[in-house]
Amino acid sequence: MDDAGLFSGGPNPILLVVVPLGFAFALPLIGFVSKKILKYIPVGVFMFNLVVALRLLPLVLKQPILVEIGGFSPPFCINLVAGPVGILFSALIALAGLLVAVYTLVYIKEGPEEKYHILYLLLLTAATGVVLTGDIFNLFVFFEILCISSYTLVAYVGNRAGIESSVKYLIQGAVGSSLLLIGIGLLYGLFGTLNMADLARQIVSVGSSSAFIPMAFMITGLGIEAAIFPLNSWLPDAHSSAPSSVSAILSGIAIEVGLYAVVRILFTLFGLSSFFLFFVFLGVLTLLIGEMCAFSQNNIKRMLAYSSIGQIGLILFAFAIATAYAVTGGLFQMISHTLGKGLLFLAAGYMIVRSGSMEISSLKGMGKRMPLTALAFTIGAFSLVGLPPFIGFPSKFLIIRSALAEEALIFNILIGLILLGTVIEGAYFFRVVQVIYFQKENEHQKRHEAPVAALIPMFLFMIAIVAIGIYPKLVTGILDSAASELLDRVDYIRSVIQ
Amino acid sequence: MSLELLLIIAFGGAIVTYLLGKISCRIREGFAVLISLSLVVMIACLYGENGTESIYFHFLGLPLIMRTNMLSWFFAMAVSALGALSVIFSLNYMKNRERTDFYYLMLLMVNASMLGIIFSGDLISFFIFWEMMSWSTFLLISYNRGPAVAAGLKYIIMSIIGSMAMLVGVLSLYATYETLNMATLAELIGSASSGYLLFLLIIFSIAFAIKNALMPLHTWLPAAYAEAPTPFNGVLSGMLTRMGMYGFLLIMYVIVGATRALNLGSGLFKFHYILAWLGAITIVIPTFIAILQDDAKKLLAWSAVGQGGYMIVGIAVGTNLGLSGGIFHTLNHAIYIVLLFMCVGAIQYRTGGERDLNSLGGFIKKMPFTFIGTLLGISGLVGIPLTNGFVSKWLIYKTLILEGYPFLAFAALIGTWGCILYCYKFIHHIFLGQLPGKYQNVQKAPFSMLLPMIILSFAILFFGILPGIPLKIIDTIGTSFGFKSMNVTIWGIASETGTLNTINIFAAVLIVSIIAWLMLKIGPKAVSVAQEDTYAAGAAIPKDKYHYTVDFYNPLYRMITPYLKDFIDAFYMKFAHWIQSLCNGTRRVYTGYVGNYVMYIVLFLALLIFIRLKWSL
Repeated sequence: MDDAGLFSGGPNPILLVVVPLGFAFALPLIGFVSKKILKYIPVGVFMFNLVVALRLLPLVLKQPILVEIGGFSPPFCINLVAGPVGILFSALIALAGLLVAVYTLVYIKEGPEEKYHILYLLLLTAATGVVLTGDIFNLFVFFEILCISSYTLVAYVGNRAGIESSVKYLIQGAVGSSLLLIGIGLLYGLFGTLNMADLARQIVSVGSSSAFIPMAFMITGLGIEAAIFPLNSWLPDAHSSAPSSVSAILSGIAIEVGLYAVVRILFTLFGLSSFFLFFVFLGVLTLLIGEMCAFSQNNIKRMLAYSSIGQIGLILFAFAIATAYAVTGGLFQMISHTLGKGLLFLAAGYMIVRSGSMEISSLKGMGKRMPLTALAFTIGAFSLVGLPPFIGFPSKFLIIRSALAEEALIFNILIGLILLGTVIEGAYFFRVVQVIYFQKENEHQKRHEAPVAALIPMFLFMIAIVAIGIYPKLVTGILDSAASELLDRVDYIRSVIQ
Repeated sequence: MSLELLLIIAFGGAIVTYLLGKISCRIREGFAVLISLSLVVMIACLYGENGTESIYFHFLGLPLIMRTNMLSWFFAMAVSALGALSVIFSLNYMKNRERTDFYYLMLLMVNASMLGIIFSGDLISFFIFWEMMSWSTFLLISYNRGPAVAAGLKYIIMSIIGSMAMLVGVLSLYATYETLNMATLAELIGSASSGYLLFLLIIFSIAFAIKNALMPLHTWLPAAYAEAPTPFNGVLSGMLTRMGMYGFLLIMYVIVGATRALNLGSGLFKFHYILAWLGAITIVIPTFIAILQDDAKKLLAWSAVGQGGYMIVGIAVGTNLGLSGGIFHTLNHAIYIVLLFMCVGAIQYRTGGERDLNSLGGFIKKMPFTFIGTLLGISGLVGIPLTNGFVSKWLIYKTLILEGYPFLAFAALIGTWGCILYCYKFIHHIFLGQLPGKYQNVQKAPFSMLLPMIILSFAILFFGILPGIPLKIIDTIGTSFGFKSMNVTIWGIASETGTLNTINIFAAVLIVSIIAWLMLKIGPKAVSVAQEDTYAAGAAIPKDKYHYTVDFYNPLYRMITPYLKDFIDAFYMKFAHWIQSLCNGTRRVYTGYVGNYVMYIVLFLALLIFIRLKWSL
């Protein structure tokens, strides 16, 4: 499986999938030796993944790395395509995974911890697998792992709300998976191959319109996990009843991976550019619905969950414009959303623990009780609204800029709607910030800060948000080549099938 | 002196101040004063430097540029000086309050971002600093809790709406010209069509009119001014609101250019003419609303809205006199409104936060320096000769009359009449009349509060008697916009259209006051009696109720109240409620039944296929 000629010195990208997967299965065995060590394993694994991904990053910028599993060359085997997009996402997943794992050390104290860590590892393994794989059926498999571990983690708390929303999520997710599978089956029936590059090549030759029905099925199936309106009804329930550490991953990673799959299929597999305008509208609709619902929430986690829908809408809008600038902006917004929403969920998590309620009004006086956590929440909120000098500003800026460059009246109207969405977003985030800092608290409560292990990841998220916000060049180089990988179908096909 | 260093000191100073506060309050306060004073000195040293441009950073491939010219020097000087005075004033006022570290951090941050806005040589850094200013202001307005929370939210929502409009303008400029450098844009924009320029001006005007509280976009201001911490009111009313003025000057005269900006539209519907009319409306209505206020800070807030109208009228008329009047009025207004807010602050400090005019009174003997400050402040506000407000209002009146805008001039005059009424009410209710019994032991304001007040009082007289000093700078700004020079002398303006010479006025006032002093000296001595020793037709009036300031101007109230409901604000609130119920309605999409959700999924699939069949995409 290892072909030394393909990489020049870097580690094998397959490690990104194999190591967490292996540890996920080894975890019960390690549990026999020591229960205490279990929770440190995800930290170590994602540290390793982050290092591998960062070492691969400069290499893949020059040329995508191809991993052929089983020694056959594509299209006859399952292969991993570690291009800029894949490694960028792997690094992002590893970073978020690492920070949330550190947070989990103190956050998850009750329940079947061992299973939590197994599922957590599986969830992120699957996410990494989805972004790295070059095989459509393999994508489906990873997707199923991702979904199933999400269903379970959503119900982790074990209360009624958690189980109810988990079942709802399961039902919708199952419908989605079957639609996806039908789509893949149809494709296989039409073209007799499952390799994405090979499929793309054949679709180019017969014209994308002939493969429309499988595309519709696949988009609908993946769209459920990607939380595109109206397929996102599971999200507010699931994200709000999961433990906050899981919500951070579900909001920050899982739905973005889903959206990645949608975009990859739209761009690389089908290249159906005549349909992009529809997705532009859909993105704006998703954004508006998400922001408007978030505005009318009293529950902090539901508010954040709806805000994720809004952000996904913005990202979808950016991708559907499908120019280099817009896709860069979309990818940038993904990073900004992962960092911002991750930070928000982590901060909200401990504020909920301390106040004992998810009601926004119960967060009164948190600015005094937990100043650092409150600061983390504020920075996350400001970043998501898109205020400088935080990361949300350059990403939103890029998206609006690329949309304005379209110079069509319809885009100007859509920009107006998006900016309206931003105003609503600002309204509800600022309202929460005011509750945290400026509402009169009921009684004087003593300072009770989140534990250090929870503050460290928040702090690192904050540093990343401010650093990239002030100096976006840290990521724009990678984003540019990732965007061109997504947009350049022919190049993708050529790089996989020599 | 590089501008980068200046901004690093400004922003870094804010953060270091915050950190020092964790060690000791004393060190923090000393450092805050040091930083703000050193900014004043550094900016003063920049005088006369022109057009220095330096690219200090690349943001998303856009160069961020800093530059300095007379316009930015003028505004930066005002910002840093008033900022420093506000910091000094805060020292005592904010003592023993909660979260003072945060207060100083945000105060210095607001000042730093304003300096950033002013020195920006390109629109992207302008926008970045503008946003930073907005959110740090939001945090400071909300600082007082209670009603301040709603005020802060209103401010930030309107502010975001404005900055979103600005973002569209900025990015549309970028999409058209591929640069955001102001100087380059000013050259390139000459070829733009009138329609595009009009679009630009309108979209930028939304942002700047919201910040400058131009009617009908003023509604955030009264609540925000009333609820913000009083020392911050100085910064807020003096310069922050007037960043809108800076923005108007920038977009109208620097980027679009005077010749184009003053010729957009046709007939009565010229852009600048409509802007001037909005300014006139902003003068009249808020001035009369100010008369109705019983809250000292609200009164000043509405007054500030009204005075903003003068500035807009001045710059929108588009003559050299008007422009100078507008810019000079910005400075003058900043000086006296900061002074007046400081006086209110001193009163609040000594009375435990009282700002209801009806329960104050008779403080003239208790707080004489504050009284003198207030007297000079309102003299400036009304525009009494030998105070600075007179000169700028004179310039604006002069140009309105010369250019043949009688209705605008009339509006400006009405504004001044109203101004006299509320100014008298303001000083009378606080300092004259009877001293309520509970304030018998009120002390003089502490020195750290008096010092900025004395400096500002001095500035009012100085700029009133020697208006030539600032006018010379303003004239340079005007000529850099392409206007004719005004022939400024140190005592005023000597031109063929009208001469302003403050030395004559000064001499006249001096002679009259000597005569008055002599007459007082010759006449019989006044007898001091206790304050209750007043003739009341034999009736005994309880001491507490002996306060005749309640229902001041009552007949006038009854006359004007029905017309002066803030219906614009009511309309916005209604709109906000409508949006809120729309949001609540939208939430119903997520019904909670899985069956519906699965139906959505199937319908979506059907929709995809339908679109395909219908339009065969």
